[in-house]
Amino acid sequence: MSNSVISVISRFLEEYASSTPNKLKVIDAYLLYIMMTGALQFLYCLLVGTFPFNSFLSGFISCVGSFILAVCLRIQINPQNKGEFLSISPERAFADFLFAHTVLHLVVINFIG
Amino acid sequence: MYPFEGLFSLLVLSLVLETQALTPTHHLTTTDVARLQALLSQPFTDLKSAYYSVVGLSKLGISVADAATCRFIKSNLDPSSVESLFFAAEASQALPGCEIPVSNDTRDLLLATVSEDSTASQIHQSVSALSSLGLPLASQEVVSALKARISKEDNVLTIILALQTASRLSQQAELGEILEEIEDLAARLDDLGGVYLQFEEGLEATALFVSAAYALSDHVDMEPPIDQVIQLVNSIFSKKSWDSLSEAFSVASAAESLSSNRFHVPIIVSAQGPAAISHSQPFLRLQVTNVLCKPLSSASVLVESATATSSKSAILSQAPFTLRDGVFELNFMASQPASGYYQFSVAIAGDSRFVANHVELKVKVSTRVSINNMDLSVVDKDQSIGPKTTRVEYPAKAKASFMADSHQIFAMTFQLVDETTGVELTPHQTFVRLHNQKTGQEVVFVAEPDSKNLYKFELDTTERKTEFDSISGTYALYLMVGDATLENPILWNVADVVLKFLDEEAPSTIQAKTLYTPKPEIQHLFILPEKKPPTVVSNEFTALVLSPFLLLLILWFKLGANISNFTLSPSTVLFHIGHAAMLGLMYVYWTHLNMFQTLKYLAIIGSFTFLAGNRMLAQKAVKRLVDNLAAKLL
Repeated sequence: MSNSVISVISRFLEEYASSTPNKLKVIDAYLLYIMMTGALQFLYCLLVGTFPFNSFLSGFISCVGSFILAVCLRIQINPQNKGEFLSISPERAFADFLFAHTVLHLVVINFIG
Repeated sequence: MYPFEGLFSLLVLSLVLETQALTPTHHLTTTDVARLQALLSQPFTDLKSAYYSVVGLSKLGISVADAATCRFIKSNLDPSSVESLFFAAEASQALPGCEIPVSNDTRDLLLATVSEDSTASQIHQSVSALSSLGLPLASQEVVSALKARISKEDNVLTIILALQTASRLSQQAELGEILEEIEDLAARLDDLGGVYLQFEEGLEATALFVSAAYALSDHVDMEPPIDQVIQLVNSIFSKKSWDSLSEAFSVASAAESLSSNRFHVPIIVSAQGPAAISHSQPFLRLQVTNVLCKPLSSASVLVESATATSSKSAILSQAPFTLRDGVFELNFMASQPASGYYQFSVAIAGDSRFVANHVELKVKVSTRVSINNMDLSVVDKDQSIGPKTTRVEYPAKAKASFMADSHQIFAMTFQLVDETTGVELTPHQTFVRLHNQKTGQEVVFVAEPDSKNLYKFELDTTERKTEFDSISGTYALYLMVGDATLENPILWNVADVVLKFLDEEAPSTIQAKTLYTPKPEIQHLFILPEKKPPTVVSNEFTALVLSPFLLLLILWFKLGANISNFTLSPSTVLFHIGHAAMLGLMYVYWTHLNMFQTLKYLAIIGSFTFLAGNRMLAQKAVKRLVDNLAAKLL
């Protein structure tokens, strides 16, 4: 049983390393970074306590928001999805990404206290 | 036609009965009459006050036989003034043996005043003066002058003066129209709550109206159409001290006319002292007087019915009062009434003129109470030991004190009876008071009668320990009996009771409750800041949270992400500067600014960055398309 799981995972990693374009891998690395930051913040909250709660929320929401926006960017940039995003060029997707981040950070900084 | 008449008379009869049921709430007592007399007896300063005093006192039945008064009047008389002549004439009329000399000029002056052009007051004064001085006058002229005056001046005082004038004229004159004015004037009286009836001009006007109306009615021998006599009595005699001589004079005139006119004589019935009867005072005494407080000896007083208020049973019916020394009395105790309150309905007959001759009185019958069969006992709760009953006779005290602890009940039974008749009584207040002499504490209980009117009181020490605060000791037991109808309320120290309570919780000496001593001060606690984790921990975690950035850089490096395509076109540079500025603004917002300022700066920087970025990305897109096209072609 575990054998098949391991073989599936190794296969997946192989496929990923070979067939994913570099740009997407860069974004994936960014996604990993965001996820780890959020996880570490959550761990702190669990261990030490929720004071100050607003700061924890704003930091955590910032991670979650950034993750979502990066995922959207990845989807829109992926050449395999070109058919679904005919009107949106990769540059346009990036510009949207930046704008959305500005709004997100405005809110996050407001709430962080 | 006849049925209507019958109905109408029935209505009138019911109205009459209704008014007759009202009795005066205000009347002059003998002290009030004395006060009125004193006010009128004051030494007078001028002719007007002399007139008021002399004539007023004569109305009260007191004659001033004083030569000095007569001399005073004669010396102050001014023959050229109608008013002066009027005062002098009226006053001398009231004084026996006082004659005012009259000259022809005086007579002519007075006769000339009787005309339409004089005021009603002048006509009244001249006519009265002529009549008092015994001079002839033409009644018909007077009547026509009065009628003209009334039609010109329709106020209350004018009509009252007209009525008074008319009563001095000869009976042959046509006084019919003036007589009708009584009814019109009576209609102008204000009814206050059905109790008072008076003119808005005040007490004097009302009193003068009464005396004028009755004077004229007596003169022509026709009953005045006044059916609310009692309300008038209430209004006129509600004021017991008078401001001026003229007011006192008007009240005296009204009192005199109400006590001696031919038609309506209101009577005042009052009990002499409190309306209470007992064995020591078996007579119910009533005073029946007229408004001047003169007893009416021609009256006969009858008790129509006397009913007990509690049981509504009639004790007496049609029992007469006997007259003794001007007071009507009835020996009510002879009917042997039980103690309590009785409603008496009394009728006064003897003269058809009497008004308000049905009176309702509430009479109290008191009695003395005696306590029988006072038995005290201490009963064991489980009834294993039989009770020893000690009988105590009032007013002695039980010799031995009684002991009751938590296993026993102290019981007391007694009977309350009427001393003379032996009938059982249930007074309103039957209390048992236990007084601890050492601590001053007292507890009061109520003794209740059972169905056979036997009073019982039981004290269970365990049940009642809260009332006693569980303080054991010797308590003096008192019995208190009281009621409004008892002449001898009782406070009897029956015995001493020693009570023993279990669990003596209270302290041995009782302190006065510390209600008004200062309480402990409350210290205000400011909000403590929340517990923060130690700075070391937060610093560690800050470093930990920032560490994935390193990981990201490493990964990007490994993936071969580079900035080799970085073109140094102005838009690219500007875009990056603008973007960096926006991130810097975020930091400044966190530390210094508020949202409005941030939005302002963000708008400026953002629009700049947008333009630059747009340019840059467009260039990039063009480059990408060109590269794609080139790759396709190749």
